[in-house]
Amino acid sequence: MNRRRFAYGRDAFHRFEGNPIIMLEDIPFRANTVFNGAPVKKDGEYWILLRVEGQQGYSLFALARSRDGLRFFVEEEPVMMPAKDGVFAKYEKRGIEDPRITEIDGEYYLLYTAYSKFGARIALAKTEDMYNYERIALISEPGNKDGVLFPEKINDRYVRFDRPIGHGIGCIWVSYSKNLIDWGESELVISPRGGYWDSYRVGASIPPIKTEQGWLEIYHGVKMTSAGPIYKAGTVLLDLQNPAKVIARCEKSALSPREDYERIGDVGNVVFPCGTIVEPDGEIKLYYGAADTCICVATARLSEIIDFTMGTLKKAVLTNENN
Amino acid sequence: MLQTKGTDILHRWEGNPLIRSESLPFSCSSIHNCAAIKYNNIYLLLLDIEDLKGHQLIYLAKSKDGYNFTINEKPLIQLSDIKGGRNSADIGVADPRITFLEGTYYITYMVDTRLGFRLGLAKTDDFETITHLGYISEPDTKAGALFPEKINGKYARLERPKDGGRIWISYSEDLTYWGSSEVLLSPRAGYWDFHRVGCSVPPFRIKSGEWMLIYYGIKNTSAGPLFRIGVAILDRDDPAIVLKRTNIPILSPREYYERIGDINNLIFSCGAIVEDDILKLYYGAANSCVCFGTANIDDVIGHCIESEKEF
Repeated sequence: MNRRRFAYGRDAFHRFEGNPIIMLEDIPFRANTVFNGAPVKKDGEYWILLRVEGQQGYSLFALARSRDGLRFFVEEEPVMMPAKDGVFAKYEKRGIEDPRITEIDGEYYLLYTAYSKFGARIALAKTEDMYNYERIALISEPGNKDGVLFPEKINDRYVRFDRPIGHGIGCIWVSYSKNLIDWGESELVISPRGGYWDSYRVGASIPPIKTEQGWLEIYHGVKMTSAGPIYKAGTVLLDLQNPAKVIARCEKSALSPREDYERIGDVGNVVFPCGTIVEPDGEIKLYYGAADTCICVATARLSEIIDFTMGTLKKAVLTNENN
Repeated sequence: MLQTKGTDILHRWEGNPLIRSESLPFSCSSIHNCAAIKYNNIYLLLLDIEDLKGHQLIYLAKSKDGYNFTINEKPLIQLSDIKGGRNSADIGVADPRITFLEGTYYITYMVDTRLGFRLGLAKTDDFETITHLGYISEPDTKAGALFPEKINGKYARLERPKDGGRIWISYSEDLTYWGSSEVLLSPRAGYWDFHRVGCSVPPFRIKSGEWMLIYYGIKNTSAGPLFRIGVAILDRDDPAIVLKRTNIPILSPREYYERIGDINNLIFSCGAIVEDDILKLYYGAANSCVCFGTANIDDVIGHCIESEKEF
């Protein structure tokens, strides 16, 4: 990728100068906004499962395709709508939101938020071709969202992060399953930090990336202000065998809303990643929703992000990369 | 003919409160509620007691007649018994419920952790040695109760996730991993249970085979919540189906000991014993003492049907 096309600013992730990469104008059908898309690289092509909010107010999923991961076109019709029958219909009446896709053994698993008057729940579906989705199960109780599935089993159990709220505090938890349907052995992973940029709420953003140093999770942290929340992205490294064990957690946010397209929209001051593509050369492409109104991409070296998380990233490295 | 004595369907014991903090062989702040079961012809209560530090623990109380209880001096369940790992629980263990399932007594309890309410599960054969099986929910979930038998080949439980204040049902093959959660009972706008509902007594089968669910319902007032007890009848084969539901509570706070205490206007039960078609309900009153009341089971069922005719 041509590095000059990425702006090296104050954040660990560097924004693509062509941001936003997907806007309302790119959606071929009438909609309110597009944001929070789950990227997949498959057969050399880039795909993003997009959360599109209709003008009715509920969300559905559409599909974007690209050859370079930067310029996308969006398919004519949505690929997944809120369920109309069966048990899912009851729990998706107010829409489907915030998809995250994980490839396990060549199959693509989709975790998303099923939203109804009964609250937000995590749901699981599967796809082979990105166009057709088979719903499997609703896998959490209400009041829980931001589910991401690990790309491999640990001790023969599937693993997920999620974001329940206890005593009003939204934290990242880890849960385990033998069959993807029944979950348990839940443990706390990280909680908000008083005084920090992630002092109000935290939630998993991307399916974790396996690295030699541990599982890398890019999460969203929220700070509450008198004018509303500010959503930023941060990073944490977790033990490969026990993801409840934190190896290192970033002090600073890795991406903060700064640009107009991140500051201005239906929900201003939001950057909200839902997935990454890690390229063979060690570059991470981070796809994120901005201001609940468009989709953007930013990039970094995986090694830089590990150093950033450990607090060992030298500022000089950022400057040098700018050349 | 329905037998009705007094204002409520459940008849209070005249000696109430049954157990008050003065009854204990040690000092405490208050008694919140209790689980109840009959074990080897002895009436057992698991008392949820708040100590003077403000922590909650579970104590065992025994009685031969169901009225005069002896309370153990040492707690049966306390936080230090439960492996919490990093999820350090720092407030207490509360709201125990007992279910006799496959020859073993299972106890579900709520742990109030720094990061929310979670359900824990333990088992015992003798109410002396307790084996803690670990947490079975994420936060914020309370009011957990196991069914006393498998439902369609799976263990089943009721619970009350905070979001929505509804009773949900979940299933498990091994009591460790839970899923297939579904809404079972919701608050009803305009009714006495409009704000939140939760399971009180672990469900039990009535003679006709259906499940009886004794639940608590909350109405919010400008002065705080009103906790009352209601009843629903669940389908014998699929307890996720609610067949009947009382339009009126079977017990509401009226007596001073129910109106005045750490939490005023509160009746909260975690256990009952059914003997000779009589429902013997042990309930916490005003988060300060434990009380006792009875009702004929047929009366209670009758009221599920009759009260639908009331406005």
